[in-house]
Amino acid sequence: MGIVELQNVRKVYPLGKLQVEAVKGVSFCIEKGDFISIAGPSGSGKTTILNMIGLVDQPTSGEVLLDGKPTSSLKDAELTRLRHETLGFIFQSFNLIPVLNVWENIEFPLLLGKTRVGKDEKKEWIDHLIEEVGLSDWRKHKPNELSGGQRQRVAIARALVTRPQIVLADEPTANLDSATGEQILELMKKINRELETTFIFSTHDARIVDTADHIIRLRDGLVTENRRRDEDATAACASADASSGAAGA
Amino acid sequence: MKTLANIALRNLSRQKRRSILLGSAIAFGVMIVTLINGFAGAFSENVSENFSNLMAGHIFLSGSEKEAGGKELSVIRDDSALTAAVKASGAPVKYITRRSAFTGTLIFEGKKIRTNVDGADLEQETFLRERLLLKKGSWDAMTEAGALILSEKIAAKLNVEVGDRILVQMQTVTGQNNVGEFTLAGISYDAGIFGQMMSYANLAYVNELLGLKPGEYQTMGLMLDGLKHTEKSASDIYAGLSESVQLFTRGEKDENGAQTPFQALLKQQKKESWEGVRYRLFTINEVLSQVQQIVAALDTTAAVILVVLFVIIMVGITNTFRMVMFERIGEIGTMRALGVQRGGVRSMFLLEAVFLALGGAVVGILLALVAMSIISLINFGMNSPAFILMKNGHLSFYLPPLKAIGNILVIAALTLVAVASPAGKAAKLTPAEALRTSK
Ligand SMILES: Nc1ncnc2c1ncn2[C@@H]1O[C@H](COP(=O)(O)OP(=O)(O)O)[C@@H](O)[C@H]1O
Ligand SMILES: [Mg+2]
Repeated sequence: MGIVELQNVRKVYPLGKLQVEAVKGVSFCIEKGDFISIAGPSGSGKTTILNMIGLVDQPTSGEVLLDGKPTSSLKDAELTRLRHETLGFIFQSFNLIPVLNVWENIEFPLLLGKTRVGKDEKKEWIDHLIEEVGLSDWRKHKPNELSGGQRQRVAIARALVTRPQIVLADEPTANLDSATGEQILELMKKINRELETTFIFSTHDARIVDTADHIIRLRDGLVTENRRRDEDATAACASADASSGAAGA
Repeated sequence: MKTLANIALRNLSRQKRRSILLGSAIAFGVMIVTLINGFAGAFSENVSENFSNLMAGHIFLSGSEKEAGGKELSVIRDDSALTAAVKASGAPVKYITRRSAFTGTLIFEGKKIRTNVDGADLEQETFLRERLLLKKGSWDAMTEAGALILSEKIAAKLNVEVGDRILVQMQTVTGQNNVGEFTLAGISYDAGIFGQMMSYANLAYVNELLGLKPGEYQTMGLMLDGLKHTEKSASDIYAGLSESVQLFTRGEKDENGAQTPFQALLKQQKKESWEGVRYRLFTINEVLSQVQQIVAALDTTAAVILVVLFVIIMVGITNTFRMVMFERIGEIGTMRALGVQRGGVRSMFLLEAVFLALGGAVVGILLALVAMSIISLINFGMNSPAFILMKNGHLSFYLPPLKAIGNILVIAALTLVAVASPAGKAAKLTPAEALRTSK
């Protein structure tokens, strides 16, 4: 069953008197645990699509399903809660909270929402993540004392701290030099394997696309290629339909 | 919420200069308002306390006697019922003063002046020596029967010196013209505008001039162990007295268009028909009801200043936080993406502003307290014209704690109003908009 499904999603932005159709009717299915790349040149609609999957933006028409559940009718508060519970975010410009240190930045999502984690358990988990991203010596440092690569590592740990099903990364390597970018991508891939977290990242860099299990190529708001492990993957989430049919029976 | 409060607090220190500037503006406003409140707070008490010293009491009892002809005499001939009631009431009376007084014309070498002369038993009223500082002459000379102490101002107007003999024209209690002679024993420092009017003579001689017998007098003053006991004790004593003597109704105001309760009492007395001896009880607060009006005016002024200053400061707060919102738009987007609800973003901004306001307000109050204690160190002397406003020659302040807390709350509330719009805008942003704008 697909963990993310887009059904004929369109997104139109008003631009003065004009309207920009950033996404022009896109459908695809993403499998749980995959490492997915959304590739395409600048302006092709990558960010718009990731924003809609990430529930920070809503489609003009069409439907985004997370774990088989439609999201278009949800209110802001419910969307926020769903983001907090099921999604992790990694941003191009790292987006750490400047007044919090490394440890506090990673802890931050755990302090939101209703569920409370035990103190020791929480500490152990954050320490583990810090070790995993290789920042054990930097836990008390503020973001402005870190390099770009280090900041993105903090962001990765923060994205994982709530144990989300899906992590979304919008051009996570675009602000990093290529060597650091590769390390970040490797780290994401490693975590993807270890924790079986679904990773969806966007990039306009052809070289890093190849590390993905599933590649969705965009051009001018349309999907031009949808390939999963060298197979065509343009079909809708078939098993999702089957399971929803089974649930209805 | 705790996390967001923590972030709000830390956010304040990001733009230190901006926060300090805004905080200082708030602190300054609060300081000014607090100083006025503090002055007003002590003003009423000081004036009343000083007056009770000059008038020799917090609570006063005076007697009125109806003569056969319907004429009223102001006299207390037998105060045993009064002292008994005072004692029975349990009021914290430090001492009792017995005085007679008249308003008459003092004449010296062709110069005339109308003034009030208080007859006091100086053997008993020893405290008067401490209160009334003499510029010239000495208290020892008051042992002479016709001795008189005048204020500096009156002495100057009459052009008299210590030892001079002064003629006095006045009326007895029954309204007959009488003439007497005083010897100037001392000249006192002017104790403010009211002190100028105070002239002191021996009770025995004033009685003689008024046509009263020795042992009789006109007004009994009860000096209490502090101003604060006045009203409670007055009611207790009044209640006790009403069982043994005839009394005038207390505190009926303005029926006759009189401005102060004291005047109202005087008019009321003329109107009522009664017989025998009646007593009147009044307090320093009734005499000084205008002081309360001044205090109210000061407090109103403080409130107006508070509002005007803070409307100006609020504009600053609104603009600053509009700027802050734009600076942090990316953070807002990030937090919203990570799961912070709209309300959380709003609270974060509101909290930041409230922390700033509270910090500023507390600093302002502390500064005001420091300023008050420095100002109150200055000794203006007992002969300062503003003596009546002061405590032992020092300006004093009293900041009612509720007023301070009230000011802080007003400022916190106004600040919340000032940031409501920027905070609301920040909360309204969709996370996608916020994330996009920051790039
Ligand atoms: N909020 C917006 N308002 C107007 N146009 C937008 C907005 N967001 C994106 N666009 C436009 O939509 C298109 C797709 O943008 P985007 O999804 O950011 O592409 P990418 O991330 O692939 O560079 C671009 O032409 C962009 O200018
Ligand atoms: Mg983009």
